Amino acid sequence: MPPSIHPVDLIAALRQRHLTPAIVFLTSRRACDEAMEAFDHADLVLPPVRQEAIGTALERVIAQYPSITEHPLIPIVQRIGVAAHHAGHLPSWKIAIEELMRQGHLDAVFATTTLAAGVDFPARTVVITQSSIRKSRDFTDLTIGEVQQVAGRAGRRGKDHVGFAVITPSPYIDLAVLTKGLTGQPEAIDSQFTISYPMVLNLLKAHPHEQIQGILAKSFAQFQLNQRAELLEHKLDALHVQMEPFGPRVCTDWITQWQTFDHARRHRHTRHQTHRSESPEISARLPFLSPGRVVGLSRGRGIVLRQYRSKGQKTSMLTILRPDGAVTECPVTSVKEVYDRTCDFVETPTYPWCSTDTFDRLSHQLEELPSRLPVLPILTSTSHEPLPDAIVQSMGDFPCPTCPSRPACQKDFITASRLRQEQQRHAKSIQALRASLWHRFQERVNVLQKFGYLTLATQLTIEGEWARLIRIDHSLLITELIRAEAFTGGDLSLLAGILASLAHDDDRPGAFPRISAGLSSLLGQVRKLAESLSPYEDPPLLRADVAALVERWVADPTLTWIGLCRLTTMAEGDIYRLLARTLEFLSQVQALKSMHPSLAESASRAITLIRRGVLEELP
Amino acid sequence: MTTEELEQLLAQQPVALLHRLARGRVHRQFRAGKRRLIELLLQHSGHNRAGLESDLQTLIGERHAPSESGSPHIHRPPAIAHKKASPHRAEPESTETAVSLSAWLEGIGVPAPQPFIPDPWQTEALSAVSETDVVISVPTGSGKTYVAVEAARRAMEDNRTVIYTSPLKALSNTKYTEFSKTFGPDKVGILTGDRQENGQAPLLIMTTEILRNLLYDAASGEIDIRLDTLGLVILDESQYIADPERGVVWEETIIFCPSQAKLLLLSASIGNPQDIADWLTSIRSTACRLVRHSKRTVPLRAGYLHPNGKLTPLFRTVGIPYGHPNQLHPEAKRLFLEYEDETLPSGRQRR
Ligand SMILES: Nc1ncnc2c1ncn2[C@@H]1O[C@H](COP(=O)(O)OP(=O)(O)O)[C@@H](O)[C@H]1O
Repeated sequence: MPPSIHPVDLIAALRQRHLTPAIVFLTSRRACDEAMEAFDHADLVLPPVRQEAIGTALERVIAQYPSITEHPLIPIVQRIGVAAHHAGHLPSWKIAIEELMRQGHLDAVFATTTLAAGVDFPARTVVITQSSIRKSRDFTDLTIGEVQQVAGRAGRRGKDHVGFAVITPSPYIDLAVLTKGLTGQPEAIDSQFTISYPMVLNLLKAHPHEQIQGILAKSFAQFQLNQRAELLEHKLDALHVQMEPFGPRVCTDWITQWQTFDHARRHRHTRHQTHRSESPEISARLPFLSPGRVVGLSRGRGIVLRQYRSKGQKTSMLTILRPDGAVTECPVTSVKEVYDRTCDFVETPTYPWCSTDTFDRLSHQLEELPSRLPVLPILTSTSHEPLPDAIVQSMGDFPCPTCPSRPACQKDFITASRLRQEQQRHAKSIQALRASLWHRFQERVNVLQKFGYLTLATQLTIEGEWARLIRIDHSLLITELIRAEAFTGGDLSLLAGILASLAHDDDRPGAFPRISAGLSSLLGQVRKLAESLSPYEDPPLLRADVAALVERWVADPTLTWIGLCRLTTMAEGDIYRLLARTLEFLSQVQALKSMHPSLAESASRAITLIRRGVLEELP
Repeated sequence: MTTEELEQLLAQQPVALLHRLARGRVHRQFRAGKRRLIELLLQHSGHNRAGLESDLQTLIGERHAPSESGSPHIHRPPAIAHKKASPHRAEPESTETAVSLSAWLEGIGVPAPQPFIPDPWQTEALSAVSETDVVISVPTGSGKTYVAVEAARRAMEDNRTVIYTSPLKALSNTKYTEFSKTFGPDKVGILTGDRQENGQAPLLIMTTEILRNLLYDAASGEIDIRLDTLGLVILDESQYIADPERGVVWEETIIFCPSQAKLLLLSASIGNPQDIADWLTSIRSTACRLVRHSKRTVPLRAGYLHPNGKLTPLFRTVGIPYGHPNQLHPEAKRLFLEYEDETLPSGRQRR
């Protein structure tokens, strides 16, 4: 059996059952292109009337967008009535195909799942061939929402009584992901709020510092953090009730008193305190790494079964349940993320440190966790309270041995101290949840002060006043480059080239062999600066080939689009997007008229030079 | 089932499941404890008891789905209560017959042209948006564009400016063409970073990033985007608020949207539209209205196409068995197992 159905057979099968028009979602652009090639010699030709209709419709679009006049796919589109539509194509081509689909001229379009949102046209049938998509270098399963977004293109209102989602397998397809996606309810969505440097500058430009916390509190992020905090407050209330029997006794804080006494008693002989050598960040995490907590490790996730510290080891250790049911030991430092998710947990004193029921349930829950989990914000407090040595040394001062409440204390201690720990943990979490955005804001403020964009009184400096207008990725690097006068030469193609290398974050391979000496040395400078800024901002890819490509386009106004495409292995659509992104970056630099007039002027001239040919077709 | 039975079944569920069940049913459900939640759910079930029961069964089903393969010591509620509570729950692999291919294919075709009558949810959204912010969460293909167009038309008739944003430049361009046809080219403009076409038109289309930048400029007194006449801001594809890189832009835009302009958020189906609406209510001057439904206008069927060209229904039922992912059609199941047998161990794969 072939690993997946042949495109020609697929279209034949759909036609035979009257399941056209269809959108066929394939794994990659390459798969779409290969599918098209498969029709080169196919005899599924359309009747002449339909071929003519396609021709007429195409002519109308071509009149508006001459760039697609000689598109190599036109003959197949017209002859067979199928087309490819993906990010490697020019926007004008995609518009043409969408138009043909809307008018009902085509039988099928091969598209990539990556941009289901960009496929803004419906069909009678949607064909699904995969259950996962590539997101930032990793394959992740489609969520229920994504499956429905894809399947949702099937069934055109007013044109179809029913719509069809047809699954046809390809290697590595997981049918369960798709059936769950088709039958389930879409996931809840979570805020992805981040605080960027330009956000801080713009907020402080318009509002005094003391109002900012109130503004951040209006975010969906804070709304959701509050929801989580309220859940915890609820738990906290329940804990207060459970703590009632353990109120003040002979001593008010008998729990601490007993703890210290008990501790001292046990460690009388080994006077060396286990010395906490952990960083404040790690220590702050410890209370959260309790049994049942879901954590992220460098590979995959796990659930904490217990936390312990073994003799001779400096760091605290965790026993962790891994997805395949394996139980591993690892130091606390290897935990990458602490998630805001705990599972119900019945502890036991021996391996695997929880009841069998719990263990089975945890194993299942671990498999079932959603692909994105909220991370628990943890406040690092600088003042932490180790057991005072003095207490240990003065055993004789403890009233406990003769206290009338001793038996009760001894009996209740375990329960009471566990409850209290939980209380403290919840209280800390709540505090962290309420304050985390503000902390992140303050961190950004500190950096901006360090670099001189903000005064100590959090006013914008002269530099901050213009820097706030750069509201794109890598803003800190761009403003620092401007301050370092990296672009003073007034060379338009260099400016455009560098901004292109900053704007283009795609690692899709492409090649452009020649790069000018000037650009190469400037890129070296940019790379150095980017590295020095890496503690404050992730460095960009800084691809020399894309920089060189844009440099050429700007430097040589006689270069045609076809000529440009021949210079590189990049797809047309990628080149278009590269130039469009560069335009976006240039337009922000263009806004710096009052503070950097000549740079702004260069940017605006570079924009004019880039906007030619295909780049002029669309706004 | 009787109220007592329902209450008992609810009480057996973990509180997390109850919270999921309560989403969109009970206002500020996250505040309530288990007892209170059950009370509220029962109160609410007055409106739509069947809906509550079926959702509950779905959630229970999901919770136990992995255990169906039968590991012996899996935690599950007492079997009796479970059975009793769901007498008509379709058991997979039961005697129930599976749909035939011809029945599954029946009804393909083009409906006769019908006069356009707005759906109740569309009318509801339109009347709400003249007074307050509205969040719409409906399946793809339901007709959100109609609401956007009508809302824009009414705002413009009132001499108000309208801004329409989309997440992708390509979508902006499509809408620009579409709206220019609907309203006439002089009524519609488009803004990009370096270009304006018809920037003085009453209906302006742009990406959400551009609007966010305009709002920042306006906040610092830089430019005048006729904010005082801005009457309506339509954010299409609002589910992008959950995009890891760009989601923050939607939050900024909503936070800084001037209060006299109404917000109209259009979104595909998401799990927690009530949260979005509650959030808007908590930060805006009027209470946000949520308009949601999850029923597809054109019913959907699912099929399985084998690499050898054989087509079969994917599920036992004609339509999608919502809430029952395991009701695979026996033929689809057989073919897929065959496929896995033949492709997986052969070592033919590249990965
Ligand atoms: N009330 C209605 N009656 C009939 N057809 C409608 C109605 N509302 C919308 N439509 C049609 O449904 C189709 C899908 O609408 P669209 O707005 O594109 O959906 P979406 O919700 O995905 O944005 C369009 O062709 C539209 O004309």
